Amino acid sequence: MARTLKKINIPVFLILLAGSVVMVFPFVWMILSAFKTVPDVYTYPPRWLPSSWKLTNYQKVFQMIPFARYYFNSIFTSSAQTAIQLALSVTAAYALVVLHFPGRRFLYTVIRSTMFVPTVVTLIPLYLLVSKARMIDTYAGIILPQVFAAFTIFLLVSFFSSIPPILFDSAKLDGCGYYRILSEVVIPNAKSPISTAMLFSFLGHWKSYTWPLIVTNKAKYRTLPIGMKYLVQESSSEYQIMMAASVMAILPVLIVYLFFEKQLVKSITLTGLKA
Amino acid sequence: MKKTTAIMLLLTLGISLVFATGAKEVTARPEVVKLQVWYAISGASGEQFLALAKAFDASRPDIELELTYSGSYADTATKVSAALLSGDEPDAAIMAAGQLYTGGRGDFSMEDLVKDADFNVNDIFKGMLEYGMFEGRVAAVPYGISSQVLYYNKDITDAAGLDLEKSPPTTWAQFFTVAKTAMERGNVQRSPDFFGFDTSDGVWLFKSMLGQNGNEVVRKVGDRVRPVFQETSGVEVGTFWKSLVDANVMPAGQHNNAEKKFLAGNLAFIAASSNRVARWKDNTNFALGAIVMPGFKNRSIALGGNVGVILTSDQYKRDASWQLLKYLLEEENHTEFALSTGYLPVRKSAQTGAVVREALASNPLYKVAFDQLENAWAYYHFQEMGTMDAFFWYALDEIEKGVSSVEVALAKAAASLEKEIE
Repeated sequence: MARTLKKINIPVFLILLAGSVVMVFPFVWMILSAFKTVPDVYTYPPRWLPSSWKLTNYQKVFQMIPFARYYFNSIFTSSAQTAIQLALSVTAAYALVVLHFPGRRFLYTVIRSTMFVPTVVTLIPLYLLVSKARMIDTYAGIILPQVFAAFTIFLLVSFFSSIPPILFDSAKLDGCGYYRILSEVVIPNAKSPISTAMLFSFLGHWKSYTWPLIVTNKAKYRTLPIGMKYLVQESSSEYQIMMAASVMAILPVLIVYLFFEKQLVKSITLTGLKA
Repeated sequence: MKKTTAIMLLLTLGISLVFATGAKEVTARPEVVKLQVWYAISGASGEQFLALAKAFDASRPDIELELTYSGSYADTATKVSAALLSGDEPDAAIMAAGQLYTGGRGDFSMEDLVKDADFNVNDIFKGMLEYGMFEGRVAAVPYGISSQVLYYNKDITDAAGLDLEKSPPTTWAQFFTVAKTAMERGNVQRSPDFFGFDTSDGVWLFKSMLGQNGNEVVRKVGDRVRPVFQETSGVEVGTFWKSLVDANVMPAGQHNNAEKKFLAGNLAFIAASSNRVARWKDNTNFALGAIVMPGFKNRSIALGGNVGVILTSDQYKRDASWQLLKYLLEEENHTEFALSTGYLPVRKSAQTGAVVREALASNPLYKVAFDQLENAWAYYHFQEMGTMDAFFWYALDEIEKGVSSVEVALAKAAASLEKEIE
């Protein structure tokens, strides 16, 4: 025990512990608030534990919105968007790094510049396109317009560029075509950044609110963030219901994170990215 | 032969025209008119609206409603704007500033609809009817309407020795003294973050205050709307606003936190929507009180909330939409909606009804909101009123934080609005 303590750098340990408490605090607060009443939520000085543990907030969530349907829709659309986005981004990044075609740099600049266009600017033109394509109130209408992601391509291009070109040349000498180089050289060497891109992408789509709201009218296509918004009124004070829904809503994100935790940590150490 | 052919052709053409026009005229009303209705009301209020809409649906086998929650007021505005451009608009909607999407597009058909004898437009409070107007003409009907009410924490005012039930402040000058006293003597929780007064919606309160000081906010001059809030009467209001911050009675730029602060017991007074009457009842850790909003030259109160609009051009759907709106605004139905959500009854007759009397007996705070109804006021609604609110927000922020003087901040907001109108 004493030997273990000696190995630990106490000041660093204390700083990390304080940081962890700060990070974990909102989650604990969310979980506890999901069992509170309105007076419990706003009491001063703040009260950690609910005055009585009740599941009524969870019941209200299920009474007010078709939670299971919204949950399924969110999982389905987020997963589909993430899968399509990654397939497009990996191939795009690969093409930009490995294929030396004319206009490559210009194309990459155009892709990067789209990161600086605010979403709100493209919202109505995109809606008009989707409406013309008769995709309002369809899963395709939710999924397809959101699959292009300049940031994911940018992230992957940065990493693919760091793969030594000699690996590509060796693969070519061994008779590999472009698809085999991608599947057997690039992807196995880029598991960490691809996992990171996957997590970022899934998170982004999971919490996407405005676009699914604009392109859906029928409850059977609506996603969880829209349902959660319905739970509270304009400038509402009923945070406890929102907290109950949030506790249930974060589960898929936690599962995705737990699956890719190792790859994510590795990616952070390699690229310096912060999750 | 040629003559016969020509006559035959003319006859054929004539018959075709008769059939063509006839076909249009005799297009039968579908057995069931399907209506798409969007609503920007959520939470408990949304549930109450849904219950009423579903009851209408059940009572009318000839009308079928497809009800869609369209998000917050701002989200709904975006959704409706996009839908109107592509022709996917709903047939009817309950939304904030709905008149911009009807009157703003030259559709004032609501003017004729409200003349429907069954509707009894004279029973609607004048200020509420004006709230649904666009450039002085009826373009929407009021639905989820609220006004700001001055709530207070009775534990704090009692500790400060203030008896607001006996002698409530009637002017803002009197209120200043009351709030300052509450601040100095009422910090029962000994909180370091304690204030006398704040509002959860500064722009809304500021507009009420402008009206109270005889300022119209904007004025129609010829065929143009011009801002007048930068005139002397507006500057006087701004100066009072600044004095609240200077005396540390109101925190600067913290309106978003006002409600949380009040519910946590760290704020003596808050000006917040009347729909909190229903929501806060039995849900606070302290005794809750409310008084009628003080005033300057008068006690007028600016209204807020949502209205009902008809957006479809299909005649049968328009008729069905009007039937829905009429049903929602029937005295009994609307009073039920108002009392369970905290919105205000739009009909004068509701005031004397048994349901309201019962509600007043069980929750006396309603009386304050209802007493203010006679003072309900809506300024001249015009196309850029949403943008004007943003300019007000910037101006108040600058005034509170001392970035600009009251005169400069309001003049800047007025100039920006003029430019926007141009």
